[in-house]
Amino acid sequence: MAYQRVVITGIGVISPIASGKDEFWKELLAGKSGVRPVQSFDSTAYAAHIGGEVPGFDPSAHVKKLPFDSMGRASQLAIGAARMALLDSGIDLDSIAPRRAGVAMGTTSGEPIYVEQYNDISKASSPADVPAEVFARYPCHVMPAHVASEFGLHGSASMIPNACAAGNFAIGHAFDLLRTGRADFMVAGGADAFSRIPYLGFARLGAIAPVKCQPFDKNRKGMVPAEGAGMLTLETLQQAKARGAKIYAEILGYGVTCDAHHMTSAHSQGEGGVRAMVAAMKEAGVNTADIGYISAHGTGTPTNDRIESIAAHTLFGERAPLVPMSSIKSMLGHTMGAASAIEAIACALAVQTGWIPPTINHEEPDPDCGLDIVPNVCRKVDPRVVLNNAYAFGGNNACLCVGRYE
Amino acid sequence: MPVSVWGAMNNPRIVVTGAGVISAIGTGLADFTTALWAGKSGIAASERLGGSAAGDIGDFNPAPWLGNKGVRILDRGTRLLCIASQMALAETRLLQDPAGNGDPDLGMFSGTMFGGIHSITAFDWVGQTDGPSLVSPMEFPNTVINAPAGQAAIKHKLRAVNSTVCCGLSSGLYAIDNAAWFLRFGRAKYLLAGGMEEVCEESALGFSTMGLASPTGNVQPFGTARNGTAPGEGSAMWMLETEETAKGRGMLPLFEVLGFGGGHDALGLTYNRHAEGATAAIQQALEMSAISADAIACVIASANGSPVGDEMEARALRNVFGDRISTIPVCAPKASLGEAMGASGAMAAVIAGLALDKQELPPTAGFSGTDTGLRLSAMPQAFAGEYALINAFSCDGNNAALVIRKWTN
Repeated sequence: MAYQRVVITGIGVISPIASGKDEFWKELLAGKSGVRPVQSFDSTAYAAHIGGEVPGFDPSAHVKKLPFDSMGRASQLAIGAARMALLDSGIDLDSIAPRRAGVAMGTTSGEPIYVEQYNDISKASSPADVPAEVFARYPCHVMPAHVASEFGLHGSASMIPNACAAGNFAIGHAFDLLRTGRADFMVAGGADAFSRIPYLGFARLGAIAPVKCQPFDKNRKGMVPAEGAGMLTLETLQQAKARGAKIYAEILGYGVTCDAHHMTSAHSQGEGGVRAMVAAMKEAGVNTADIGYISAHGTGTPTNDRIESIAAHTLFGERAPLVPMSSIKSMLGHTMGAASAIEAIACALAVQTGWIPPTINHEEPDPDCGLDIVPNVCRKVDPRVVLNNAYAFGGNNACLCVGRYE
Repeated sequence: MPVSVWGAMNNPRIVVTGAGVISAIGTGLADFTTALWAGKSGIAASERLGGSAAGDIGDFNPAPWLGNKGVRILDRGTRLLCIASQMALAETRLLQDPAGNGDPDLGMFSGTMFGGIHSITAFDWVGQTDGPSLVSPMEFPNTVINAPAGQAAIKHKLRAVNSTVCCGLSSGLYAIDNAAWFLRFGRAKYLLAGGMEEVCEESALGFSTMGLASPTGNVQPFGTARNGTAPGEGSAMWMLETEETAKGRGMLPLFEVLGFGGGHDALGLTYNRHAEGATAAIQQALEMSAISADAIACVIASANGSPVGDEMEARALRNVFGDRISTIPVCAPKASLGEAMGASGAMAAVIAGLALDKQELPPTAGFSGTDTGLRLSAMPQAFAGEYALINAFSCDGNNAALVIRKWTN
């Protein structure tokens, strides 16, 4: 008996452009931008002023069992997206054997709001005045703990905070648990809340675009920090069929590598990125000719997009310009630990509907990229197998291979 | 784990071929072992915590392990992780040529709880007090939670998977299990697996408000008068590989990593005094190991002195082992190390290996009686058997257990 097949049966998303699967997909294909002037803190003193914040998020509408104000925004976003995914999946959790349903999550910053509070109060008065719970609510393992507690998931509960590739790592981990029979049902994805801490860091690196995010454009000027949550329900094909669940897509495999080269910059030839794609395709049992679409990491920084293009050319050779590769960060900004989870959702919907989302804000092709980035307008290409690329601080590369369920 | 699925897969044996450790009682396996078996405690008034009790390593010079190049930028926790990793790499002949590219089949899984919270807080503090324009962009990479593992990859040229795992006090065991599966899947050949934690004022504050800190600083796991724990720090890393890889390169397997159990009580951020999740984690680990509870010869406990957490663990052990629990030797090493959070599960695993090798458990430092019915001792306890159980139960409701076996062909 081989490994079990693993399928996506529920989708939940909260993002700067829209929340909820249907609205999200509609706006994504329409090329809507969620990038606006930063609202949640005063950006006057920073070298940048735009971000992708989730407008009008009401945590009390999403967090129902736990006290919504007992946790940070990243946990609230994660619970909100998880609730949508669970509803969408139609699962009756009581029908799953106890301890066979779990949660796997990713994040970049966890709950940085509590670090901000600590410093704000320390600055205004003294650390002695900091509310007792602040650092108890900070460590990022609280996010899966909150999701598990809100929904009564008693199985494996993990946080894999591998920065901007974390969502792919979390989905991959859930895939591993399911295909080896260690779980029957997993809620998996990533979440990050808008915070001045990463914003400050990216601003000081000079990485934030002044006006808009233009991945792969000749005149691209940087990335745009953003927030959001993408959560999926994954289960074995056997179980999904047995309960008559709708199936969006199949997880075919993933590959993870490390450049071991530089903390903030990828290897100049995309060496680790290529290895991750190769490993993902090998695990999936597919080859480059099968790949119908690539969801790019595509942050919009000059370096990332150049290196990612080199990696695509290295792997696909002459076929590289024929494989559409778009970046939805052009619309959402970079939702950090949620990014590759939300992009995995876009991949699942792409293989299910046949449509692929565009790279918006495209004005002038960059000869250094030389790829079909699906400029400005979505397209119907009916991809059968797609790759979801994610690169992260620490030189981490994670590629998820998603296929049409057949 | 349904046996039909488990038994049908390509199932190489996962072995430990070496370890590295830095802790409050000793650095390097030899010193660590000597101190542990002598019943030494590393818990004392910590200067960095304003005199509060902690298993604080104090000042240490990383140069003997890491040299001088590129070390200045590494924060305390990252240095600890890099040092333990260096030891494990050296012992297993996997140190990479500094001038080379590194090995694409060599990677890392590292558990942590608070990660680089001190670096993160300091980074934001400069931004808020001196202003954004005076923050060093060089410090930014240290603020992502996976920075220590990423830095270790650069330092030691680890080019396979590089993953950080945050499951509270269970992190170290989750990291080991993740690594074991990556090896079973053939995604890497050699994986460092373990955990890291640093003592700092921010995590200590969090720690005390989780209700974990002992007001007296007297850490007595399972002790009748237990009243809490003290934060600890350090790093413990195992080198894991398959039996075939190890033997193929002339390495002697020391221990075998068998079954793992992990799950959440899902009651919010708390221990579950009814111990359902902890009991299930141990049972799951035994089931995946395909052994009965009778085979377990010793237990390395998670107990850290927390009144509720220790009671929960004792209950779980009674649930699994029944009356036999009063005869199984148990050691609670956090009496010596403090609660080293993301590192503690990995330290416990390393200790379990040492104990299997000696067929003797180290003492539980300062032990003077328990109301739990468990067999602890302030002296080393001899035993005869092949299998050790390691527990790592977290204050957030996550529970992990691991079974390892003394190597037999």
